[in-house]
Amino acid sequence: MRIRLDRVSHSYSATEESAPLQVLDDVTLDIASGDFAVLMGASGSGKSTLLNLIGAVDRPTLGRIRLDDVETSALDERALTMLRRKSIGYIFQFFNLIPTLNVLENVAFPLSLAGVARAEADGRARSVLDEVGLAARAAHYPNELSGGEMQRVAIGRAIVHRPPLILADEPTGNLDSRNGERILDLIRAVHGAQRPTIVMATHSERAAAYGDYVIHVGDGHVG
Amino acid sequence: MLAKALVLRPLVREKTRSALTLLGIAVGVAVVVAIALSNQSALRAFRESVDAVAGRANWQIAADAPLDEDVLLRLQPLWPRGVRFAPVIDVNGLAEPAQTPIRILAVDLLSDLHFRDYRYARVVTAGNESLATYLSLFAHDSVILPASYGRNLESALTLNVEGVRKTMIVRGILEPRGPATAFNGAIAIMDIATAQASFGMAGKLSRVDLIVPDDDAAALAAIRRLLPPGARLERPSRRNERVVKMLRAFRVNLFALAGVALLVGMFLVYNTVLISILRRRKDVGVFKTLGASPRQIFAAFLGEGLVFGLAGSAIGIVLGGALAYGILGLIGRTINSLYVSSTPEAIVLTPGIVAAGLAVGTILSLVSAIQPSIEAAHVRPSLLIRPGLQQRIGRARRGALGVAAIVCFAIAVATARIPPIGGIAAGGYVAVLFTVAGFSLLAPIIIVTASRVLAPPLRRIFGIVGQLAAASMPASLRRTSVATAALALATGMMVAVAVMIGSFRETVAVWVDQTVTSDLWLRPSKGLSNAQVAMFPPQIADDLNKIAFIAAFDRVRGHDIAYGDSMITVGGGDLGVVAAHGDLPMLTPRDAGRALREALAGNGVLISESLSLKYGKRVGDTLTIGANAFPITGIYRDYSNDRGVAVMDNALYTRTFGVSAINTIVVYLKPGISAEDARKRLEATLGPKYHAFAVLNREIRAEVMKIFDQTFLITYALLAVAIVVAVLGIINTLSALILERAGELAVLRLLGMSPAEVRRMIVIESSILGLASTIAGLVMGYALSWILIFVINKQSFGWTIEFHTPVRLIAAALTVTFLSAVLAGLAPARFAARANIAAALKSE
Repeated sequence: MRIRLDRVSHSYSATEESAPLQVLDDVTLDIASGDFAVLMGASGSGKSTLLNLIGAVDRPTLGRIRLDDVETSALDERALTMLRRKSIGYIFQFFNLIPTLNVLENVAFPLSLAGVARAEADGRARSVLDEVGLAARAAHYPNELSGGEMQRVAIGRAIVHRPPLILADEPTGNLDSRNGERILDLIRAVHGAQRPTIVMATHSERAAAYGDYVIHVGDGHVG
Repeated sequence: MLAKALVLRPLVREKTRSALTLLGIAVGVAVVVAIALSNQSALRAFRESVDAVAGRANWQIAADAPLDEDVLLRLQPLWPRGVRFAPVIDVNGLAEPAQTPIRILAVDLLSDLHFRDYRYARVVTAGNESLATYLSLFAHDSVILPASYGRNLESALTLNVEGVRKTMIVRGILEPRGPATAFNGAIAIMDIATAQASFGMAGKLSRVDLIVPDDDAAALAAIRRLLPPGARLERPSRRNERVVKMLRAFRVNLFALAGVALLVGMFLVYNTVLISILRRRKDVGVFKTLGASPRQIFAAFLGEGLVFGLAGSAIGIVLGGALAYGILGLIGRTINSLYVSSTPEAIVLTPGIVAAGLAVGTILSLVSAIQPSIEAAHVRPSLLIRPGLQQRIGRARRGALGVAAIVCFAIAVATARIPPIGGIAAGGYVAVLFTVAGFSLLAPIIIVTASRVLAPPLRRIFGIVGQLAAASMPASLRRTSVATAALALATGMMVAVAVMIGSFRETVAVWVDQTVTSDLWLRPSKGLSNAQVAMFPPQIADDLNKIAFIAAFDRVRGHDIAYGDSMITVGGGDLGVVAAHGDLPMLTPRDAGRALREALAGNGVLISESLSLKYGKRVGDTLTIGANAFPITGIYRDYSNDRGVAVMDNALYTRTFGVSAINTIVVYLKPGISAEDARKRLEATLGPKYHAFAVLNREIRAEVMKIFDQTFLITYALLAVAIVVAVLGIINTLSALILERAGELAVLRLLGMSPAEVRRMIVIESSILGLASTIAGLVMGYALSWILIFVINKQSFGWTIEFHTPVRLIAAALTVTFLSAVLAGLAPARFAARANIAAALKSE
C-alpha cells in the first residue's frame, strides 16, 4: 500500500483552554508500496502522531493523506472503520491485547470482526500462531504470557488478515534486548514473506536498522 | 492534600458519575424523608385536632357507649375542690348534600369557656342587641362554624348525624383558634342541648371533660368511685396514643419499603467508592510508595463517602419535602379508609426530620464506604499499580462468598420464626435483611454463571461483539456484581411485593365473594369511605319489614372502641339472618351456622382472625369490653381492618353500647326477584326518606377491590423509586467500566470495530447485567414474598393470605426492570462509541 502525505500539519490542545501545540508542520511524505520504513525521533517528536494520521486514527489539521488512491482525510467514520479493519494491522509498544480473550481469540479477532466464519478464523489464527511460535499457548490468556509472548501475539493479530499496511509503534520499547531482537526478526520475516508496507516508529538505532530506510522526525518536520 | 488529590478533584472532574451517585442517595433519602413527613402530617393533624377539641381538660370520663348525663350531677360535689367538668358530644357527621365529613362538637356554650377558647368573628345580631346577641347561638337550630369553612351567617347547613338529618342555621363564625382549628376547620360547634334534641341524643353525652387541679389524687379517686359501669377515667391524650399504636405496624411497613430505596442507594455509594479506588489505584499506589499511611488512604476514601452522604442527604431532604406533598394524599387516604378519620395538614420540615434524613443518608454512605476504603488502605502498592487485578474475584473467594450466603439464608430462616416484638414483625424484617445479604453475596457467582451460559448464544447471534460483551462482565466482577446486587435487590422487592399484593388481592377477592352473598346492600352514603359516619336511623327497619319482595335483611353497625392500650372495632348484625341466609368465612369452627347460633344463644361474639392473633383469643375464651365479658363462639377471616373486629347480635349490641343507628343493611331478596328491579323500587321507596342508596353485590365487590388497589398504590410508587435508584447504579457502573476500559475500547476501534459495534457491545453488557439481576431478583423476590406473607404480614396485621402468583404483574415488572437495565446501557454506549481513539491511546 502506497502512503502519501501532502503538506500535512497537525496540532492539538491539551485542554480546551490551553493554546494549540503544533506537532507536525507541513509534512510531505511518500512511502512506496511494500517498503519497510522506519520513523525515528526522540520522545515527543511526533512519530506516534504521524503513525496515527497514517493509520486513520486521527485527522490532520491541514493537508491530505492518501493510502493508495484513497484520501483518508476525506473519509467518513464508517469508511475509516472499514479501512482499519481490512487494510491495516497495528503493533503497539504495550501490546494492547484484549484481556478477556485468549491468545487464539485475540489473533482471530480481526477475522471475527470481518465476519469470517469461526472455524475458518480459528484455523487461520492457529496457523499464524504456528508462524509466531505460540501454538502451544493458544488457550492462554494475555495475563499468563511474558512480554515477548504478548508482542508475538500482537504481531499475529496484526498479520492474520494479511493487511497491505502494518503500523508498529515502538514494538520493542517494552521488551528486553533479546526479546526485542526476536520481535524485530519476526517483523522482518513477515515483511519478507507477505511484502506489506510497514511503517515502524522507534527511537532505537538498532531497531531502525531492520527497516529499508529511516525517516527522521523532529520538531514537527521529517527529513 | 491527599483527600484533595484522591477524592475532591476527581469528584469535580467526573461530574456525571458524581451527579449520578448524589442523585441515588438523594432519591433514597428523599423517600424516607417524604414518608416521615407525610406520616407526621397525617398523624399531627389527628393529634392536634384531638388536643384542640380537648382544650384545657387534663382528664376525661370516656366510655364505648354514650354516657348518661346523670354523671354530671354526681360530679357536682367535687366543684368546691376545684374540679371543673364539661359535658361533651363529640361525634362524626356528614354535611349534606355533598356528604363531606364534619366533626360535631356540642358543648355547654357558657360553661365551656373554662375548657376551650372561642373567639367569635361574627355572630348574628338583632338590632341593638349586646350580650343578648349570643342568645341566638342557643336557638334549637343554631350552629357555629369556623371562618375557614366558608359559610356566611344565617346560611343553612344540613347535618347528618347517625342517620338523623337536621338543617341548621349558621349563627356564629369563629376565628381560627381553639376547636375552630381542629379537623382542618371541618367542625361544627353547637350547644349541647341543641345536639341532644336535634340528633336523638337526649340525655346522652360522648364524654365529660375534666379539669382536675394539680391532678389531685383524692379528687381522681373520688371520680373513679362514681364512674358509671363501662366508663373510664383517662387522659385526653390516651386516644392519641391508641391511634399511634394502631398505626405503628402500618408506619413501620412504609419505612421498611422506603428502606429498600435507601439500601439500593447504599449499593450505589459502595460502588462509587469502589470505582473511585479502582480508577485511582495507580495514584493510590504512588501515594503509598511515597509514604502515605494506610490510615490516610482510608480517611481519604471514607471522606468521599462522607461528602456523598452529606451532599446527597441535603438534596434528598429538599426533594423529600416536595415528594411528601405527592404521597401525603395517598397515605392520608389509606389512614382514612383503614384507620381513623383525619384530614392531613400541611407538610412541615421539622429540625428532627432534617436531622434524621441527614443522619440516615450520611451514616449509610459512610458504612457503604468502609469496606472499599479498608481495602484501598491495606493493599500493597505494587498490586495497586498493576492494572486489572482488583477487578476480578477469584474462584476461591467466590466459593467463600457462596458459603457466607448460605449462612445468611440459614439465619434468615431462623429469624423468620421469631414471634413479633411489641406487635412489630422484627424477626421478619431481620430475615428480609439476611435474605437480601445472601443474594447480594451470590452476585459474583450469578454474574459468572450468567456470562458463561450466555457466551455461546451471544457469540452465535452477535459474533465477536457478543463474545467480548460476555467476557467483559466476569473481568470486572467487583463492579458488575455490586450493580447486579443493587438491581436484583430492587427487582426482588418489586417481585416480592407484587406476589404479596397479588396474593392478598386474590385472597380478598375470594373473601369478598364468600362474604358478600346478599343480593344488595342499602347504604346511607354512596361511597364506602363514609361508611363509619353515614347512618340510618333504626326506624328504617319498620319500613323494610313492610316490603314484600325482601326475604330477610341484616342491619349492620359498628364503631371503634378502646381495648386495652389499643383499639378494636365492635360490630352488630342480625346473626340469625346471617345464619339462615348469609355466610362467614370461618376459621374455627368451620361451620358458620353453629358459631352464629351459639353467639345468639349465649350472648357471645365472633371475632376476626386479627383480633384472635393479636390478643391471643380462642374459641371458648371471653372478650371483656368495659364491664361486659362476652364468650367467643367463633373466629372468622376479616380483611376490612387490622385492629380486630368482634361481632355480636344487634340486640346485644344495642343493650351494650346504646347505639341503634345502622351503618348498612344487607338485603336478601325473595326468589325470582331481580336485584336491578329491587334496587329501583327500594331507592324509590326509601331514598327520599332515608337518603338510601342500593348497591348491587357486584358493585360492592368492585368497590372493595378499588379501595384495595388505592391502598397499595404507594407501595408500588416506593418500589418504582428503588428501581430508578438501581438503574442509576447500572448507568454509573457501565460509565465507570467504559472510562476504565477507554484504552481497550480504543484498541478495539483501531482494530476495526465500528462505533455501532462498540455501542452494541455495551448494550449487550448492560443486557447481561439486567438479565442476571432480573433472574436473581425473581428468585429473591419469591423468597422475600414468603417472608412478607407468612411472617411480616401475619405478625403485623394478623391476616392469613393464600399464596398466589400474579403472573402478568410479575412479567410486567421483570420486563420493566430488564428494559431499564438495557436502556441504562445506551448513554454509556454512545459515550464509548464517540470516544477519541487517539486521545484514549495516548492516555493509556
